[in-house]
Amino acid sequence: MIVPHRQTLWLVGLALGCVASALGVVYSSHICREYYATLQSLESQRWAAQEDYSRLLLQESTLASPHRVLSIATEQLGMRVPGMGADRVVVQ
Amino acid sequence: MNLRVAKRAVRAGARRKSVTAKPHTMAAWRFWFMALLLASLAGMLVGRLVLIQALDQDRGAAFLKKQGAMRAVRLAEIPAYRGLVTDRHGAPLAVSTPVVSLWANPQHLADSGRLDELAHALGMSLDDLRKRLALYADKQFMYLLRHQTPEKARAVLDLGIAGVRSERAYQRFYPAGEVVSHLVGLTNVDGEGISGLEKTFDTWLEGLPGKKRYIKDLHGDAVRDIGVVEDPRPGKALALSIDLRLQYLQHRELQRAMAETGAQAGAAVTIDAWTGEILAVSNHPVFNPNSRAGFDYAAARNRVVTDAFEPGSTIKPLTLVAALESGQFTIDTIVDTSPGWIKVGSKVLPDPRNHGAISVSRIIEKSSQVGVTKIAQTLGHEPILDVFRRFGLGEPTLTGFPGERAGVLPNRERWSDIEKVTLAFGYGLSATPLQMAHAYSVFANGGERVPLSLVKRNPTEVVPRERIISPDVARDVLTVLERVTGDEGTARLARVDGFAVGGKTGTVHKVGAQGYMDDRYLALFVGIAPVDNPRYVTAIVVDEPKGDAYAGGAAAAPIYARIAGGLLHLQNAVPRARQAPETQLASLGGGQ
Repeated sequence: MIVPHRQTLWLVGLALGCVASALGVVYSSHICREYYATLQSLESQRWAAQEDYSRLLLQESTLASPHRVLSIATEQLGMRVPGMGADRVVVQ
Repeated sequence: MNLRVAKRAVRAGARRKSVTAKPHTMAAWRFWFMALLLASLAGMLVGRLVLIQALDQDRGAAFLKKQGAMRAVRLAEIPAYRGLVTDRHGAPLAVSTPVVSLWANPQHLADSGRLDELAHALGMSLDDLRKRLALYADKQFMYLLRHQTPEKARAVLDLGIAGVRSERAYQRFYPAGEVVSHLVGLTNVDGEGISGLEKTFDTWLEGLPGKKRYIKDLHGDAVRDIGVVEDPRPGKALALSIDLRLQYLQHRELQRAMAETGAQAGAAVTIDAWTGEILAVSNHPVFNPNSRAGFDYAAARNRVVTDAFEPGSTIKPLTLVAALESGQFTIDTIVDTSPGWIKVGSKVLPDPRNHGAISVSRIIEKSSQVGVTKIAQTLGHEPILDVFRRFGLGEPTLTGFPGERAGVLPNRERWSDIEKVTLAFGYGLSATPLQMAHAYSVFANGGERVPLSLVKRNPTEVVPRERIISPDVARDVLTVLERVTGDEGTARLARVDGFAVGGKTGTVHKVGAQGYMDDRYLALFVGIAPVDNPRYVTAIVVDEPKGDAYAGGAAAAPIYARIAGGLLHLQNAVPRARQAPETQLASLGGGQ
C-alpha cells in the first residue's frame, strides 16, 4: 500500500478547499443576485401599491368632499338641514 | 518562431556536442540572449500590470477604477414621498402621487426612425418634437414629458422606442382644490414648497431622495442595479388645525357673498379661542392649485394673514376695555352724544343721527363716533394704545405663514388731537383679519390670550395662557357685543337662529392715492359664538362691496350669520331656546 506523503495530503486538502471556496463564492453571489432581484420586484410592488394608495386616497376624498355630499343629500336624496323646531336636546 | 529555431539549434548543438562542441557555442549564447530578451518583455508586461493594478500611483489602480466606473456605473435618485397634509380629522389636503417623467438622450433619439410614432404617443406634433430635439442637440439629456400618470407613460414606453427612458417622481395633488389652496400653498415642479404651509413646513414634509448605483451599457440603458447607496427617507405627515367641513362651509358662504355684493375681494377666518387653533381660512379671489395654467399671483394671496387694513369700528371693543379699566366708565355710564357731531381740531366727526345721552354700552351698539371720541378724550391715547399692544396688535401672530404681516401701531412723539381720537375708532393703525380674530378671542377666553396655531394641537398639550384683562372686563365686553346683535345694534343681520352671538361691525373708507376714498369701503365684522359659552371667533372682511349694502352690518354681518349658524350646527352646539333638556325624551330613548 502506498502511504501518501504528508505534503501531498496537504496539497490535496488545500486544493479541495480552494475548489470548495470557489463554489462558495459562486453560490453566494448567486444568492445575492436572487435577493437583489427579489428586492427590485418588491420595490416595484411598493411603487405600484403607492400608485394605488394615492389614487384611492384622491378618489376617496373626491367622493367624500362636503360639496359632493351636500349636493347629493339635497338634490338626489331630498334631505335638508333641520330647522330650529326640529332640534331636540337630550340628557345622556 | 525565433524561440523554436533557437531550441532546435540547442538540441542540435547538444547532439553535436558529443562530437565536437566548439562550433556551437555561438548558438547557445544566442539562445540565452533570446530567452532573456523574451523573459524581460514578459517581465515588463507583468511589471506594468502590477504597477497599474496593484500599486497606488498616479494614473494607477485607483485612477483606472474611477475611469471605468465613470464609463459604466451611474448613480440614480430614488424619489422620496413628500408628507401628506391633512385637516384636523385626517382628510387629505395635499397628496403626493407617483408620476413618471419621460426623458431621452437627444443625441441618440435624433436618428431614430420612429419619431413620428413617438410624437403621436406624446401628443405633440412631429415638428415640435424635432424642434425640441434640435434645441437640446448638444445635450445628453432632455425631458420629453414630465409628470405623467403612470398609465400614459406606460403607453409611450410600451412602444419600445430605443432611447426613450422613464424616471419616477412624485407630484403634489390637492384634493380640496381651491377651498384651502391659499393656506396649504404650492410646491414647484421639483417638489419643494414654494408658498403657504408647503413652504413653512418644507423641511418637515420633504422626503429625502435616496441613491442607488447601477451599471449601464453603451447605449445608456441600465444593465443591472448594484445596490442602494442611501435609502430614501419619506417626508412626515402634517395635520393642520383646519376643519375641512367648516372650511368648505366658510368658503361657500364667502364666495356666495362675493357674488351677491359684487365685492372685489374678501377674507374670512375662524379660530377656536380655547385652543388658539385656526379652524378655517377663506379668501376671495380663489385659485386652483391643481392647474398652473393662467396662474394669478394676486389671487394666490392669503389675505387673512398677509393683508393689513385699518380695523375701523371693529376696534371699539378694545377702546371699551381701556374705558372699563380706567375705572371712569362702566358699561352703564351715561355719555351725552348731543348734538350728534363733535369737532376735534379742524375735523367734524358726525354720527348718522343725534343719539342724545346714551350709555357706554349703547355707544358701542350704535357705533357712535361722538361717544367713542368723548371716551377717548377722557382717557387720553396712552391707555388705549396700551390695550391695543396687550391684545397683540402691531405684533406678528407667529403662525409661521410666509408673508405674515404684523400690522402697524402708531409710535410717534407728538400726537395731534385728531390722531388721539381716531385711534380709538380704528383709524391710523392696521391689523390683519387674523389679528382681529385673535384679539376678540381674548373676550371668549375670559381675558386670557392663547397663542395661535395652524397645526393641530395635541389634546394633552398644555397651551400657555396669558392674562390680558380681568375676567370682569371680558364679561362686560361680551355683554355689550351680544347687544350689538340686538334690536338696537348695528349687527342685527349677524343673528343666528337659536343661538346668542356677539360681534362688532366696521365700515372703513379705503385709502386711495388722494387719501380716504368717499365711495369705496371695507365692510368688516368680527363675531363670537355662542356668547353664553364663547368659543368660536370669526373675522370677515369684504373689500369694496357694491351698491347700498356696503356697511359692515349690511355686507359682512349676514355672511357671519351663515358661517356661525353652520359652524354651531357642525359643532353640535346646544341651541339657547332649547337648553332646558327634555329629560322625558332621554328616558324614553334610553340614552347611553
